[in-house]
Amino acid sequence: MRANYTVNESVQFRILSEGQISEIVGAAIEILETTGAVFYSTEALEMLKQAGAHINGNRARIPSALTKQALQSAPNSVGLYNSRTGKKAMALAGYNSYYGTGSDTPYFVDPLRGERLRARYQDVANAAKVIDALPHVDFCMSLGLVQDVPRLTSDRYQFKAMVTNTGKPMVITAHDIQGFADIVAMSEEVAGGTTELRARPFLVLYAEPISPLQHPKDSVDKLLFAAEHGIPVVYTPAPMAGATAPCTLAGTLASGISESLGGLVIHQLKQAGAPFIMGGVFTIMDMRTTIFSYAAPEFNLLQAAQTDVAHYLGLPIFCTAGCSDSNVLDQQAAAEAMFSILVTGQSGANLIHDVGYLEYGSTGSLEMLVMSNELIGMAKRFVRGIRVNKETLATEVVDQVGPGGHFLGEQHTLDYMRSEFWTPSLMNRKRYDEWKDAGAKTLGDRAHEQVLNILAEHTPVPLTKQQLDRFDEIIRNADQRHGYQ
Amino acid sequence: MSNYLEDLAQSVIVGQEDRVKQLTQQAIDSGADPVEIINQGLIPGMNVVGARFKVGQMFVPEVLMSARAMNGGMELVKPLLLDEELPTAGKVVLGTVKGDLHDIGKNLVGMMLESAGFTVVNLGVDAGPDKFLQAIKEHKPGIIGLSALLTTTMLSMKDTIEVLKEEGLRDKVKVIIGGAPISQDFADEIGADGFAPDAASATDLCKKLLA
Ligand code: B12
Repeated sequence: MRANYTVNESVQFRILSEGQISEIVGAAIEILETTGAVFYSTEALEMLKQAGAHINGNRARIPSALTKQALQSAPNSVGLYNSRTGKKAMALAGYNSYYGTGSDTPYFVDPLRGERLRARYQDVANAAKVIDALPHVDFCMSLGLVQDVPRLTSDRYQFKAMVTNTGKPMVITAHDIQGFADIVAMSEEVAGGTTELRARPFLVLYAEPISPLQHPKDSVDKLLFAAEHGIPVVYTPAPMAGATAPCTLAGTLASGISESLGGLVIHQLKQAGAPFIMGGVFTIMDMRTTIFSYAAPEFNLLQAAQTDVAHYLGLPIFCTAGCSDSNVLDQQAAAEAMFSILVTGQSGANLIHDVGYLEYGSTGSLEMLVMSNELIGMAKRFVRGIRVNKETLATEVVDQVGPGGHFLGEQHTLDYMRSEFWTPSLMNRKRYDEWKDAGAKTLGDRAHEQVLNILAEHTPVPLTKQQLDRFDEIIRNADQRHGYQ
Repeated sequence: MSNYLEDLAQSVIVGQEDRVKQLTQQAIDSGADPVEIINQGLIPGMNVVGARFKVGQMFVPEVLMSARAMNGGMELVKPLLLDEELPTAGKVVLGTVKGDLHDIGKNLVGMMLESAGFTVVNLGVDAGPDKFLQAIKEHKPGIIGLSALLTTTMLSMKDTIEVLKEEGLRDKVKVIIGGAPISQDFADEIGADGFAPDAASATDLCKKLLA
């Protein structure tokens, strides 16, 4: 969603003051300098050493000057394209917000049987298709984790399920660096070549540090690979306040942001100016059940605070919304989804993922996805705020209609009713009897119907036979390398 | 004498390690029976903690504090006990399986088991079948617990069970498994002895298996 037309019309918020932001950033930089972090990568350690970091075994203490240099060289905007039309689809910068799914849930709600089953290829294909059809879902992550194909190469199959069913930009997970390399090769096939993919990237790679303060080999390899290939990357810490980060939210921010910055430093050392997106899933561990919450109010505070920090640092920001700790699509799921969708929208986060997650990231649901699409529509309208000018104040129209008249027949109404009002596609506004006669359906029922409709009716722009053949060849080779078949 | 026991239990419940140590030392100095200190002071305190945690009145860090307090007392009493009097619920070897780096859940299981009186050997992350095998030979645990949060790594659980069979150790040790993608069905499928969805139920499971 686009932030407001002009600043004074904004209904956006900032939850941190300028002073608080600079204290948090200062603490993050201090953590990097005094505590440092471990990097399980000789290449990263070597680069850090060359650049003046203090290295002790795997531990690197990174001087603040180095961090600041990385912040300077990183671009503050990242553009992503539609793989079918080649048109720019997202400009990750400033307060522009885009929503998309999350990836890799082990379970998935089967749209036909309504049961929670292990996610399969078809689930991911369905998710991509639904995303392709939804107006407020801007990008695609796999939602489910494909489990009915060879395990160690499932990332390639998963990508195929996604890219054959949507042209929208995507954020890609892979098991390892070979997985990424194969997926990039498949993407080049879609984009029409290496330079074309670089010029109009439609994918973002995904890697994660391990809280607290660890950068594992696979993740560092992925970061460096992305830097080298000029493909945008999100580096997403998942600190859990009270467990893998301090219990205080400020402490979790400082520690998590230091992880983001640690990743940024090696990424920029590898290739200054390469596109990097900060942010992640900062939350609390529930102290009774030990779940990693995707919906607590503290989670929402942390999303908003991270976004404030990213705006201050001038980096695009990856956030989380449209997800729930509820195990099924119920009232809790709706309330929690709305909460995070609104918060991230009002904060102006850029790349907002995990729409469609139930069960704290363990289950994907197409119903949750289409319901959230509706909620995003509402939130976008809200964030757009109230435009106040001569035209919208409409004193002339008021004067024409005068006391006791009505506005239904005015040209002004015709001109504005579609842009001023958001039109629901799932929310009920029917009067009681009408609603009852139509089957007394709940929001969940209606979401389910919308899912079935999209699956039956939407046709994504297909890829060519040649592209698909090439996919199969890449996948076959990967399978052979892993000893499948 | 009896109200020192209540005081002791209470101090375990509120997680005051210093106070527990002080009371335990006083009791020892005044000639109290070490078995009584444990069975009527420290353990009843911890039992209350377990019960309160289960109903959601206490939080994980409070449980850990209480366990630390109880262990503070235990350490003082232990030297006075014969081996067979030593209260241990059993020994558990825990590890996150090969290729998997998710460890906080497994660590929590370890901490909760320790709180319940188990002796825990933590193998860390990326623990393949060999590492478990070696640990079984070295530590002779009653149970091994395998944690996996990835579908790509959960098969390592099966491999570990196969290796145990090959080595003729399968009936010497119980195998339990857990983590986000793990289910009871999967446990049955690979022939594990149990599955638990969280740390508290993992403790119950271990108690049941070793009963
Ligand atoms: C935090 C987190 C991470 C952190 C882990 C940090 C750490 N030190 O552990 C980081 C960011 C590093 C991470 C990395 C990845 N993660 Co992760 N992660 C999570 C997340 C959000 C929470 C897990 C967690 O810590 N929960 C809190 C703890 C306390 O709970 P727990 O782990 O479930 O443990 C409890 C129980 O399961 C049980 N238990 C656990 N072990 C055992 C063992 C026994 C014997 C028993 C009885 C019980 C038991 O008791 C524990 C305590 O109550 C989950 C989401 C989810 N739904 O679980 C994803 C999740 C597990 N991750 C996922 C993925 C895909 C990944 C990555 C592959 C992402 C990527 N493509 O790079 C990498 C893999 C890295 C690697 N090689 O291991 C997927 C898994 C999909 C799958 N089944 O394969 C999940 C489900 C999220 C998602 N939908 O994408 N992740």
